[in-house]
Amino acid sequence: MADEGSSAELGRYAEPAVLVLASLSDGPRHGYAIMADVEAFSGLRMGPGTLYAVLARLEQAGLVVPLPAEERRRPYRLTAAGSAALAERLEEMARFVRVGRARLRQPDRGRA
Amino acid sequence: MSRPPLLHRLLVACYPRRWRERYADELVQVLGDRGSGWRDLPNLAGGVLDAWLNRRLWPATNQASLAMAVPGPAAVSSAPTIAATVPAASAYGVVATAPPAGEMSRRRFLRRMLAVGTGLVLLEFGVGTLSFLWPQIREGLGAKFRVGTIDSVLAAEPRFANGFPFAYGPARVFLVNVPAAKELAMGNQVSMPNPAAADLLALWRKCPHLGCLVPAPCESVTRYQCRCHQSTYNILGEKMFKGPAERGLDRFAVTIELDGMIVIDTAQYTQGAPNRGPEHLAFTDPYPWDATCGTE
Repeated sequence: MADEGSSAELGRYAEPAVLVLASLSDGPRHGYAIMADVEAFSGLRMGPGTLYAVLARLEQAGLVVPLPAEERRRPYRLTAAGSAALAERLEEMARFVRVGRARLRQPDRGRA
Repeated sequence: MSRPPLLHRLLVACYPRRWRERYADELVQVLGDRGSGWRDLPNLAGGVLDAWLNRRLWPATNQASLAMAVPGPAAVSSAPTIAATVPAASAYGVVATAPPAGEMSRRRFLRRMLAVGTGLVLLEFGVGTLSFLWPQIREGLGAKFRVGTIDSVLAAEPRFANGFPFAYGPARVFLVNVPAAKELAMGNQVSMPNPAAADLLALWRKCPHLGCLVPAPCESVTRYQCRCHQSTYNILGEKMFKGPAERGLDRFAVTIELDGMIVIDTAQYTQGAPNRGPEHLAFTDPYPWDATCGTE
């Protein structure tokens, strides 16, 4: 439920939002660490403008919370709602992967 | 731990104030940590646009204290801007009616609109002034015209071989086959279907007096006579005895390319020779003044 509401609001930032949520899922990280981590595990380069557009939305939706800053580097922590949203989104993607693979295996489709 | 480049900091300063109060410090820190390259600039600009377009994303003001409380030197680039804008509303003693932080006061709105309007006017003047630098080619003058080969000219005007000028509309010229034209004006019937480029003359049909279109030569005396004020030119475009024009018809450069294409370059032209009396004409036809020429 929370996921539906927030992903509708995220709009074109839905994809980078998943990446940020995934990056925060194994512990709090600050802005630059998120970018570095995302690039390491997905190979996608996320710009700083995108990152903060996403963080502002996630914070608004209550999916992440800011922690006290350490020397102007502020870490963000995933909330319970954030974990749920991430899990749900990953489940959607898994379903998508299953359907896609199944269709690719059908001999008369996709080849021609 | 380096400070991000000036352009990046300027872009960060472009975020909405309430947004900056909350996020600018950490964003600047991220840019510094990243050793940000130029390719982040469009992304950052996109972020600025996004922040302005989504007002609901702006943090509430009580959250702003979170960022304000961060200790640190005044190295944050946006700090002076914040300091300058916050007391502005209360400085005029309008504390009671001061808008909530992040909202724009009427005065500030009007001032900003004035600045935008002034900017637009200046831009318009600037663009208008610069546009004068562009060449304005009208009616094809200044362009190069590819008339066609001698054969196509002869097909359009068979008498061209006998010396009758070919009126070429797009460039508003008479193309004259000079040696044949001289014979024609003397009353001799000749056929010279192969003129060289040096034998061709492109006369501009604009009368040098007041600019009327000079009509085709009259058959009887083979002269051009302007209908407006009877300025009269011989078959080569030289000004003859009558009429107010003070020089002959202007000429354009004519060349023939290797494939036989006749090209008239209207950017290169020679003014017609000024009136210096009949003895200075390169060519004189044997006829007297004919008042009816050009009026039929």
